[in-house]
Amino acid sequence: MNGETAHSVDLDPRTAPPFPEAALPILRNTQLRKNVAHATDVIQTKRAHLVGEKMDWQQLRSAAAAIKDMALASLDQYLAEFEARCTASGGQVHWAADAAQARRIIVDILRADQASEVIKIKTMTSAEIELNPALEAAGIHAIETDLAELILQLGNDQPSHIVAPALHVNRSQVREIFARSMGRADLSDDPEALTGAARAYLREKFLRVDAAISGANFLVADSGAVAIVESEGNGRMCLTLPRTLIALAGIEKIIPRFRDLEVLLQVLARSATGERMNPYTSVWSGVTPGDGPQAFHVVLLDNGRSSILARPTERQTLRCIRCAACQNACPVYRQTGGHAYGSVYGGPIGAILTPQLMHMEHAQSLPYASSLCAACYEVCPVKINIPEVLIDLRAQLVDQERRQTGRAFDVMYIGMRAANWIFCTGKRLRWAQRIGRLALWPFTREDGWIHALPGLGARWTMTRDLRGMPQQSFRDWWAIRAREKP
Amino acid sequence: VSVSVSARKAILDRIRAATAGYSAGPPVRSAQPYIRQGRLDSRARLNLMIERLREYNAEVVECIATDLRACIADTLLRSGRRIFLAPRDLPAEWHASGFDWKIDTGLSHSEIEACDGVVTACFAGIADSGTIVLHHSGSEGRRVLTLLPDWHLLILCASQVVETLPEYFDRCPQPPGLATYISGPSATADIEMTRIKGVHGPRFLNVILVHDQQGDDPSDAPANHA
Repeated sequence: MNGETAHSVDLDPRTAPPFPEAALPILRNTQLRKNVAHATDVIQTKRAHLVGEKMDWQQLRSAAAAIKDMALASLDQYLAEFEARCTASGGQVHWAADAAQARRIIVDILRADQASEVIKIKTMTSAEIELNPALEAAGIHAIETDLAELILQLGNDQPSHIVAPALHVNRSQVREIFARSMGRADLSDDPEALTGAARAYLREKFLRVDAAISGANFLVADSGAVAIVESEGNGRMCLTLPRTLIALAGIEKIIPRFRDLEVLLQVLARSATGERMNPYTSVWSGVTPGDGPQAFHVVLLDNGRSSILARPTERQTLRCIRCAACQNACPVYRQTGGHAYGSVYGGPIGAILTPQLMHMEHAQSLPYASSLCAACYEVCPVKINIPEVLIDLRAQLVDQERRQTGRAFDVMYIGMRAANWIFCTGKRLRWAQRIGRLALWPFTREDGWIHALPGLGARWTMTRDLRGMPQQSFRDWWAIRAREKP
Repeated sequence: VSVSVSARKAILDRIRAATAGYSAGPPVRSAQPYIRQGRLDSRARLNLMIERLREYNAEVVECIATDLRACIADTLLRSGRRIFLAPRDLPAEWHASGFDWKIDTGLSHSEIEACDGVVTACFAGIADSGTIVLHHSGSEGRRVLTLLPDWHLLILCASQVVETLPEYFDRCPQPPGLATYISGPSATADIEMTRIKGVHGPRFLNVILVHDQQGDDPSDAPANHA
């Protein structure tokens, strides 16, 4: 089905294989791993340099987290305020409880407009709700205008990174895709030439197509404005030239005040692309007569987000401003890229966001797709404690499994219950230690390490050694010491 | 619409149920506030602005207010371009003679596309990030004017330059209906993180930094024009 990538990619969490299974073929794809490592290295170096020059970086992070927390604590009020102000300035606000409703709303607006084509700014939310296939089914051709998204669309590929969705593709692969789909056999693999080809290909579409779809980086409650940050100018084209504009936004994109942008814009670009400010940021409220689209719609999407609000630990997930700094910093993501996560949201943020959007019914392997090293937390501009959320999600999953019938006879649970019983008293622990010492003695080598265990234990020793049990426990040592030195 | 109305109620109900246990409380503010006010004197602030703009490959020249018309003419001449767009309320004295001026009285996209460049005012400059702020007033022009032409000349007054982003927000008592923040030419790094400039937006940004003649800081005046 897919000629450009060596593996097939399924980013629907309901059907995607578990993380370890999806990661295996990717780990053998050395080209893809090289591409991902190179891209994440470049962004991380730039980010570190620009964060380093900011004297108040930690204060900005705290302030950004506080702004998002404030918005989430009174989310209903801020959404209502945004709706009122956006409507007052000529916008139309729609509410979508799930992906299907959002798709229907957008298709209906475009149909009423008799649109046969629509230009799109990169929006992960539209990938989340699988909007493009729905548009095609309705006879509306979607044209991605972000360079990376265009590469993916023409190459029949899927996004693997939140900010640079095609970072797993290299220049010669881009050349092949463009040469074939644009009929440009003469094209070289020079990034400048490839970018030029995309510019020429899209210019005509910007000037011709009369409807556009965008995401939103921020929804501003006190002004009813939408803010979009970008680099290429394709965003400004889509926000300015068409007659009709539809912005699709998750409900968590709300911020209370226009002024809050003074913090969020400072942390976003530095974290996302390693720039002091991204080249273009657009902010607009509703419709401005004589300037830009005269029909403006905002689709507010829930699709599982409101359920994340209920638990205090998990709630911080919704602070995310989609900068992808956690992906660039993650030692797991840097090996696998985004496709292994079986979701448009890969990496550490995807590992906590995706299972929650799925109400913990799918993507259950993702909370385990982490070493809990906390590099993600350290770089997060809104201070999401991702390891803390990962551990809490793991606990939820274990509780969920425990409730399933038949689990009582599972080796794992019998072992855990036995451990629980043993650890209850010091006497039981001492007996267990003696038995353990005897049982492990035949496997312990002269260097004091166990290199191979039979049966279930082999699962551990397959990939790492186990320290043999010491001949004397601390309790024994303490007891002897007390006797010898009264 | 009826679906959206019931969805609205369902979403808001779910949010209220989920957040009911939380006390709204006073907004949490960080113990140590972030930097709001810049620390540079006016000359250093302008120098930083110029340095940042040049990092973005913008061409920057400085002049005093009385020389502005000549400076605009000189910049337009050096560009080798001929047909220039002017926003509706661009000051008449900025329309340097010897060029074809198209005044935006609601020009079509193709008429705008046919011009060689555009000359506009702006709302503010932010030195820390080298950002130009447009609020799209009559002299700053509709958004499309500074988007389609490949060449943009911006007139930035020294008094419009602030050092930090929060200082810009201090100058906005009311949120603007439209705002565009420009920090460098359109660019992409989507192919192997190789930065390529000039994707869709204007590829050439020129800035004339204008010093008030009777500015309170005489050191503002650049040596080469004083």
